[in-house]
Amino acid sequence: MKNLPWVEKYRPKSIREMAIPQAKVSGHIVALDEELRTFIKNFFRETQKINEENKKIKSFNRTVEDKKQKKQLKIPSEKAAVLLEGPPGIGKTSIVYALANDMNMEVIETNASDTRTRDALELKLKETVKSRGIMDFIVQSKDKLILIDEVDGIYGVTDRGAVPAILDLIKDTQFPIIMCSNEYKRTLQPIYNKVRKFEVKPLSKDEILKIIRVILKKEMVENLKLEDLNYIIDKNNGDLRGIINDLQGISQGELNEHNRELITQLHRDSTEEIFSLIRELFQDAKSLQEARRITDKSDVDYNFLYKWISENLPTFIKKNKEIEQAYENLSVADQIFGRIRKNQYWSLLPYFYDLFSGGVVLARKYHPENGGFRRITFPRFTSTGLFSLSVAEQSFVEKVKARYNISEIEVIQKLLPFLRSLSSKSRKHLKIISDWFDLDAKEKKVLKS
Amino acid sequence: MSEIIPIWRLKYLPHNLEEICGRKDLIQRLLKIVKAKNFPHLLFVGPDGIGKTTIATLFSKAFLGKYYISNFQKVFADVPLTSEEMKQARSDAYVSTNKIGSLAGKKITTPAFIQVKIKPFIELKALGDVPFKILVVKNFEVLASNQQAFRRLMEIYGSNCRMILITTKISAIIDPIISRCQIFLISPPAYEDFRKEINLILKNEEIVMEENTLKLLYKITNGRMADAIDLLQLSSISGEKIDSSILYENLMVSQGNLVKNLLLLCLKGDFPKARELSRKIQSNYKYSSQEVFNFLLDEIFKLPLSRYARYNITTLIANADVRAVDGLDTDIQISNLLAKICYFAEVL
Repeated sequence: MKNLPWVEKYRPKSIREMAIPQAKVSGHIVALDEELRTFIKNFFRETQKINEENKKIKSFNRTVEDKKQKKQLKIPSEKAAVLLEGPPGIGKTSIVYALANDMNMEVIETNASDTRTRDALELKLKETVKSRGIMDFIVQSKDKLILIDEVDGIYGVTDRGAVPAILDLIKDTQFPIIMCSNEYKRTLQPIYNKVRKFEVKPLSKDEILKIIRVILKKEMVENLKLEDLNYIIDKNNGDLRGIINDLQGISQGELNEHNRELITQLHRDSTEEIFSLIRELFQDAKSLQEARRITDKSDVDYNFLYKWISENLPTFIKKNKEIEQAYENLSVADQIFGRIRKNQYWSLLPYFYDLFSGGVVLARKYHPENGGFRRITFPRFTSTGLFSLSVAEQSFVEKVKARYNISEIEVIQKLLPFLRSLSSKSRKHLKIISDWFDLDAKEKKVLKS
Repeated sequence: MSEIIPIWRLKYLPHNLEEICGRKDLIQRLLKIVKAKNFPHLLFVGPDGIGKTTIATLFSKAFLGKYYISNFQKVFADVPLTSEEMKQARSDAYVSTNKIGSLAGKKITTPAFIQVKIKPFIELKALGDVPFKILVVKNFEVLASNQQAFRRLMEIYGSNCRMILITTKISAIIDPIISRCQIFLISPPAYEDFRKEINLILKNEEIVMEENTLKLLYKITNGRMADAIDLLQLSSISGEKIDSSILYENLMVSQGNLVKNLLLLCLKGDFPKARELSRKIQSNYKYSSQEVFNFLLDEIFKLPLSRYARYNITTLIANADVRAVDGLDTDIQISNLLAKICYFAEVL
């Protein structure tokens, strides 16, 4: 028991032990545990009814026409499956296990760690789902509950055909299905159409505090102050699993007044962390291994990191030859990242890492002796790649469009530059134009910039 | 109409086909069509900014007469759908099971753009005493693969709605579309017509301008009426008399020159400043990376560069463009190109 991670150790065994997160169904707050319980009960009641009906239909001696008319009944999909959607670590999986335990059921789980191609899913679930085992006739076995965890982790290429397989599953199932997911995904739309969705909200701070107090007491950890706990809770945004993991991490370190430092070491995703990381990368890294070590030990989101590197590149690298080299590597990294995101080729990720960190840093051959202190700046420019307007620009464009029938792009690319230069040349014209288009102060700023 | 429009470009907008500057043959042909009360699908081809859309709009106005408002629609192919429109398209694509017909309960797989912007208009019958509606699609070449969807639409709804497709590049239009349209090549107005029109404006606004300057104006704007009028208004602020130096001075602030400056900064080898400027261009004009690359390409042929330099920089631009298609962050790809040109200039 001692070696178990706390998260597993303190996973609630029963609904009574756990704090039920708040849930919403199409905007109305509901009690999640009660809803799920009735869902499961209803499911078994319905399937029993339907199975009996089907038996009657099957055994009844009928003509071909009759058979055509009377098809086998099937349970409607919204009664066969539900979807729990919410941020990670707030108890979606836990509530399913706790409920199953309470209702004396067995959970058959598949999650993102399994490959979920159509074949794999069918192999794992379909037979259990469609039929009841031979043993079931002899011994009254446990009822089963199917949990498809991390549905949003289904990826286009590696898990090909998983969505239709799940849809088939919902159609034929003999056991209730509960799916969990973290966020809306367009590829899952066919599933969303079929089932009821519970939006699960994170626990409140007080509830979390209560839970972790119990755990800390049992583990006999005493040195943590209330403000430290608060700090951890805030850092994790209500992700209970993350909080418990962090607590375990701290308790395994030395327990003294350095707690706070330990906590900050666990969470490096702050701006200062990125600052020192960038500095370290550009000033200290001399080989690919070193660059790799520096990026590995941080858990700064790589989505950001390479933009930070791009932004600060000219501050550290001054020679054109080296800038060219560095940008060459960075642009290949971006190209690779684009392919990863578009086609889900996650196996390319290591190259991306090495190129944007090591590739960029090592492009610099010339290290000035007294590097001195250099200011690191935020990535100021975020190119969306798409046509996007600020609020003031949008309202400006609307007003111009009302007067003159041209497209938004034309307003921005043709008319606006002209109006800008016109109004920069004479204040009189600025006034005339803004009067004529009836602009307010914010929209006038668009002209002035 | 007593109100004075402060922007000349709008003030001197033509109100009917006869007022269009020059291109008399074309206008005559269009006027004949208006009399005949019938025309096939049209494809207007010509460089940008010379008035294709204005002609198409005025032509539709003349053709539809008083039923113009309800039977005319202009669609911009290059404006991306908003998120609401995407949502609309998704929900429209599903035919409810309550409906009767073989499609009930099925999903229609029409591209979202067509579903939202084209279909609602062309499916409705023409209103009033007109033979058919008119749909104008601007920048048709941007549609790329969606062009395929137009093939069937043009046939099925052809009797109810005629289309005028407008494009700058005929090579980007697929053959089946070209074969379904009558093509109109539209050119910029000839110098004589241009001179007449500008002189009219000069007289109206009480500005003096010499013949030579007028020729220069025609040359630098490539006969684009709207651009010429913009430039006139900008120059007129400095005084009543416009000469070529004032014209050039005002030209410097227009967008083509920003790209030129960008290229010059690169050739000087000043990367940080070049990146700063490229970001400014991107954010002020909302250009996509492809557009920036195209402008740079245009500019290379205008600058006095050696053949070797031209060839090399063109290759660099091509490579950067290919990478930008794959990549996610356009700024990185453009910066990459700038860095490369900087280094290239230094080696040179």
